[in-house]
Amino acid sequence: MEVLTMKITMDSVRAIRGEWSLSARGTFSEGVHLISGNIGSGKSTLALLLSGLFSSFSGSIDMEGVTSVMVSFQFPESHITGLTLEEECTSWGLDPFTVLSSVKLYGKKELNPLKLSRGELKRLNLACVLGGQYDLLILDEPFSSLDVQEKERVCHDLSLRKKGITIIITHEQTLFPRVDHLWEIQNCELRYLGGMPEALGAWRHAPGIIKNLMAAGRTPCNISPEDLLEAACRT
Amino acid sequence: MITIANLRFGAVGISSLAIGPGTTSIIGPNGSGKTTILKILAGIVLPESGSVLIDGAPPREIDTGWINEFPDRNILFETVEDEIASPLRFRHMKCKEIDSQVSLCMETLGITHLSKRQIRGLSGGEKVLVALATALVHHPLVLILDECDSHLDADMAGSADLVIRKSDVPYIICCTQDMERASCGDHLVYLENGSVCFAGTPESVFASLAGTPYYPLSWKCSR
Repeated sequence: MEVLTMKITMDSVRAIRGEWSLSARGTFSEGVHLISGNIGSGKSTLALLLSGLFSSFSGSIDMEGVTSVMVSFQFPESHITGLTLEEECTSWGLDPFTVLSSVKLYGKKELNPLKLSRGELKRLNLACVLGGQYDLLILDEPFSSLDVQEKERVCHDLSLRKKGITIIITHEQTLFPRVDHLWEIQNCELRYLGGMPEALGAWRHAPGIIKNLMAAGRTPCNISPEDLLEAACRT
Repeated sequence: MITIANLRFGAVGISSLAIGPGTTSIIGPNGSGKTTILKILAGIVLPESGSVLIDGAPPREIDTGWINEFPDRNILFETVEDEIASPLRFRHMKCKEIDSQVSLCMETLGITHLSKRQIRGLSGGEKVLVALATALVHHPLVLILDECDSHLDADMAGSADLVIRKSDVPYIICCTQDMERASCGDHLVYLENGSVCFAGTPESVFASLAGTPYYPLSWKCSR
């Protein structure tokens, strides 16, 4: 049986919103991709483009071998359809006990999701998103509103995602999963910085910890907390 | 001094907590009661029982600046200068004095160029700076920030920190999930299940949190 290779190719894509535009070119292969950029740089527009929810002004986006797409946006309220946490899990085709227990929300299964704190709501949404298998998974600011324990857990789960294309779009500066490719949006343009750890030297949005480690000649192998600690403790 | 005694509100219960002047970070898991405590300190909600006093007065009797996680959801007016002027207009201050204080505030924050702009056309970071200006223009005794750094990039968070540090607000209370930022404050409070588990200096509180994800990564890497 032939195994199709998944990839997304952006060829001279240009998105326009009012007086602002975003240019993008490059190929997303299978693996975990991290895209960083400042607020207003076009990160969410890129998520919309890649998920087919926004049309580019020019250029093309070709998907090969991608049969299922899931996108999770920054604000979890917009994803909610169930009147209770239990209903919400069921609406995703997931077992409520498994999902809610994994994020310590089973005790609130009968609560309206909109009564949760923002962090709990984000936790619920991510658990539902990550509970499914998708060829292309786009996560727009998945870490915002999460507490550090949850950020660590989500990072761990994402690091384990080996199949398909995972695109994480974030301005997070502390906790990251282990990633395969690094991208950056700078001056209205998406730039591919490369694989790990080669890309780190060109990463303008690198957190202070990574910049300090590199300045000390201790380039981490990747960007997860474990990699940073390994680099810091390296003798 | 901010003093909390025998406080109860929903699942939040604090028997005793004292917070001195300076920057206090409140940290803890999602749903631990951080926002509830901030709302009580801001006088937005009243405790079911117990007392909260800020320099001897209840929160609703003092001037407070409040910035929530999504500042643009609290914005009332269309233009930047009208929004920043609003706390002073609500106090029936004289127009000339309002103009002068708004100009000075925008100058301090480096946002004079935005004064005539429509707020809906601003970037997320610019909206945070406008919200900060609106919170600071009336020189509050307490400035409360509810995870407004969660949606800021590093550059914008740095600008906001600079503005806050330069302000003359005696009490700054911020809730954050950024442990690096929390480690730079004067005081730290760790909440869990609606209760204060640890309170003190960042050094003492983080020492109690060693081995947990709350311990700052930069401290792990440098110690």
